[in-house]
Amino acid sequence: MSGAAALVDLALAVLQLGLFLAVAPLLAGTMKRTKARFQGRRGPTLVQPYRDLAKWWSKRPLASSTTGPVARHAPAVVFGAFVVAALLVPFAAGRPPLAGWGDLFVVIGLLATARFVLALAALDAGSAFGGMGSSRDVAISALAEPGLVLALAGAALAAGSSDLGTISLFGLREGVGLLGPSHLLAAVAFGIIVVAETGHHPVDNPDTHLELTMIHEGMLLEASGRSLALLVFASELKLVLLAALFAAAFLPFGAATELAPLPLLLGLGIGLVKVFLIGQGLALLDATVAKARILALPDLLGLASLLALTGLGARLLLVP
Amino acid sequence: MIPAPEEIVLAGPAGWLWLAAAGTLILAAIAPLASRRLASIGALLSTGAGLSILGFGIVVLIGGGTYTAEWGQVLGLAPIALHYDGLSAVFLVALGLTSAAASLTVVGRPVRSRVEASAYPLFLASMLLVLGARDAFSFLLAWELMALLSALLVVGLRPTRSVVSAGYLYLAMTHVATAALLVAFALLATGSGGALDFVAWRGAAPSLSPMVHDAVFVLAFLGFGTKAGTLPLHAWLPRAHPVAPSHVSALMSGVMIKTGIYGLVRILVDVLGGGPDWWGVAILVAGAFSAVLGVLYALMQHDLKRLLAFHSIENIGIILLGLGAAIILAAHDQDALAAMALTAALFHSINHAVFKSLLFLGAGAVLAATGLRDLNRLGGLARAMPVTALAFGIGAAAISGLPPFNGFASEWLVFQGLLGAAGSTPVPPLERMGAGLAIGALALTSALAVACFVKATGVTFLGLPRSSAAADAHDVGRPARLALTLLAAACVALGLGAGPAVAALTRVAATLIPPGSAAVTATVSAAPAAGPAATYAALAIGLLLVPAVAFAVFALRRAGSARRVDTWTCGIAPQPAFQYNATSFAKPIRLFFGRLLLPEREIHIEYHPGTPFPLAMRYRSEVTLILEDRVFRPAHALSVRFAELVRRVQSGSLQLYLAYTVGAVLVLLWWAR
Repeated sequence: MSGAAALVDLALAVLQLGLFLAVAPLLAGTMKRTKARFQGRRGPTLVQPYRDLAKWWSKRPLASSTTGPVARHAPAVVFGAFVVAALLVPFAAGRPPLAGWGDLFVVIGLLATARFVLALAALDAGSAFGGMGSSRDVAISALAEPGLVLALAGAALAAGSSDLGTISLFGLREGVGLLGPSHLLAAVAFGIIVVAETGHHPVDNPDTHLELTMIHEGMLLEASGRSLALLVFASELKLVLLAALFAAAFLPFGAATELAPLPLLLGLGIGLVKVFLIGQGLALLDATVAKARILALPDLLGLASLLALTGLGARLLLVP
Repeated sequence: MIPAPEEIVLAGPAGWLWLAAAGTLILAAIAPLASRRLASIGALLSTGAGLSILGFGIVVLIGGGTYTAEWGQVLGLAPIALHYDGLSAVFLVALGLTSAAASLTVVGRPVRSRVEASAYPLFLASMLLVLGARDAFSFLLAWELMALLSALLVVGLRPTRSVVSAGYLYLAMTHVATAALLVAFALLATGSGGALDFVAWRGAAPSLSPMVHDAVFVLAFLGFGTKAGTLPLHAWLPRAHPVAPSHVSALMSGVMIKTGIYGLVRILVDVLGGGPDWWGVAILVAGAFSAVLGVLYALMQHDLKRLLAFHSIENIGIILLGLGAAIILAAHDQDALAAMALTAALFHSINHAVFKSLLFLGAGAVLAATGLRDLNRLGGLARAMPVTALAFGIGAAAISGLPPFNGFASEWLVFQGLLGAAGSTPVPPLERMGAGLAIGALALTSALAVACFVKATGVTFLGLPRSSAAADAHDVGRPARLALTLLAAACVALGLGAGPAVAALTRVAATLIPPGSAAVTATVSAAPAAGPAATYAALAIGLLLVPAVAFAVFALRRAGSARRVDTWTCGIAPQPAFQYNATSFAKPIRLFFGRLLLPEREIHIEYHPGTPFPLAMRYRSEVTLILEDRVFRPAHALSVRFAELVRRVQSGSLQLYLAYTVGAVLVLLWWAR
């Protein structure tokens, strides 16, 4: 790799990470706003998530006397894993900033690392709520994982490689031809998984602090100060990350195929629109669909796996 | 009684390492017999032997050579022949690392019995021999030695009733397995003109009929699959492992069950040169079921060692997924992809040996510190046992397949192998769909493993202690902590150094499945690689995680020290019983997979007389092991009933036997009329 190309890569990485971090709270703000409008409220301003983060950042933390190093360092590991994953997903261009570092399984692995550490930290304080959130979160993720992997595996089989850049560039080359039945089935499956992984209706309620229904919030209950700020920021980042992953694998249209300033800028803009629209879709779900009983979730997430599998079957069995 | 070597070609440094290992193991076996006080010396010698085996394995693996030794007629029967090649070396590395660490943990601990302390190094030696045996006689001799010694170590000299029953089951199953191997070897020997040598078998394999090939496959899968603990031949495993001493469990789970994998690869891939793709499909199906059911049953356990034993079934399943994909791909001449899938299976074998022995030794440390294996009475041990907790946590992350640890690198390769099988057009569509299903099964497995190890680690080491034994725990001695640190470091090193490790294993896989085409396959490398093929740049990702996490840690530190308060429990003072325990943690999964697990529960509440306030509550919950409870147990009962019917015929009365004879003659006369 020549020096100039490495420099372009580095610039792309810094740009993408900076952008993700900058818009993540804004995305959360727009979603809160949409939801409030549906509920007949005005809702907080779009900058409220930034203010919340700043407020928690400057507070002196409280920590449970039961907790130790796990709870203290978990927010950093969760955040770090998402930051690295964010650099492996194509966004403005058809290739990720860190091309050749890791494929879709690495992104999924990093998400799992974050989940493992957060779920473990939730058990550190010895509270029932932490355990409740932790146990539910890992159980729901376990149901979601086959759908997530199978949907992306379908895209990988079409492109001939599990490298996300290859998948994205393949989609850009194919154009509308990409939108076959197996692709659409996988996309719907992945959409359901995004809902589950980011904790929106009907899987989880991001706004609730009612003990018995909390999943993700239950794990954050003992966090405060900068720990809380990092964890909330990380979950906002995760939404951008998953939306970008969805776009890269299933809707790559508009991303730049070459690393020139103008297509990149265009790709950036279109990418932001896609992420924003996916966020609005989730907010719409929050506003219009009731949260399901936790025991009904296997049906929903099993449906996602089944759709992804049907997509895979359509690709492997029907097309010679 | 081994006569003087007639021919030793174990030349060079590797030869010396082998001789050193063998010699120290013999000394280690003698030491505890001589005096109880020498038991620790024996354990140290075993540690040294483990390191020698590790060195020997690495030299063979990197050097690429083969090492041979032969002894004259043993017991006047046949010569013992050893021959170590790359495939042996892969498992030698696992054996060396595991045995070095496991032996270290018993240094300074009081021995249960001197006979057991002396059998332990011999058990190590038997595995060293199994991995080198070059002909049927040597192999079966070493194999049987390994089975008997491990059974002795499981049962011990003063066993309780349940231990004896676990031991009997193990002995019975392992001998049925050996019988299957005996028949398979007999078929191969007849097919190659009576030769017992693996090399001769390999030469004769192409001329054997497909029927013989298939028969050998079925028998070898029965034999080696039982040893490996694959479903449905696993019944002995979750019983035998928890009752064995922890360092023995570590070796049995880390290495001994892996000799089953070694045998499968040796016979199916090396000797027979692969087979029709239904072999691969059968292995894939067994692997997928082992992986998913293994982890599901593991989640339902609250005995730490039993939980780990079920995870061995899971990981054997993952290894079989790689092996199955390799055989399917090789059957359709996708040699480069097949070699990659085989590499995945070999790499996961090493990795599983490392993290599973780490976890078993960690469980042993917990057992030594508290006397408890029941998760529901543990908790909060991280404060008293920080080194054990950290090491166990690293092992848990590794077995859950999380980057940047070693388990992720090999699972990544298994995923790539399956994706290769699903994406290769020469493979028939149904088999490709099967590989696709296996991808889903592996995804489910690894996510459930995350759930299970959050539970095992969190309930054991975090929160408040759930019993006074857990509250009063002290960390284990320095040798045991050193052993745990060594294995945890190996998890990190094999994770970050996955690139060179995979490169070395790929060379081994290429000797077994020579790559015909120069197809580009997905790779694990150290540095990022450009190109359309998928890459996992293990070292680069690991190094990138460091600043990403460190930056956030630094920011957290800057916030100053936290004010310490009680955990919020709705205004009541926190109590250990408020916490989720192992049973409640697994409840969502128990309910989600209720149709498969068939959970039963019983709740007994006694009330204060005349009030709705409970006085005492009892809760019992159990899941059904479908195969054991619904298939094996009825089948066993049926066979016993049938045996009783037969016994009625065989009453021992002379008159009745005469009547049978008369009856038989009459029937024959009527038939021949």
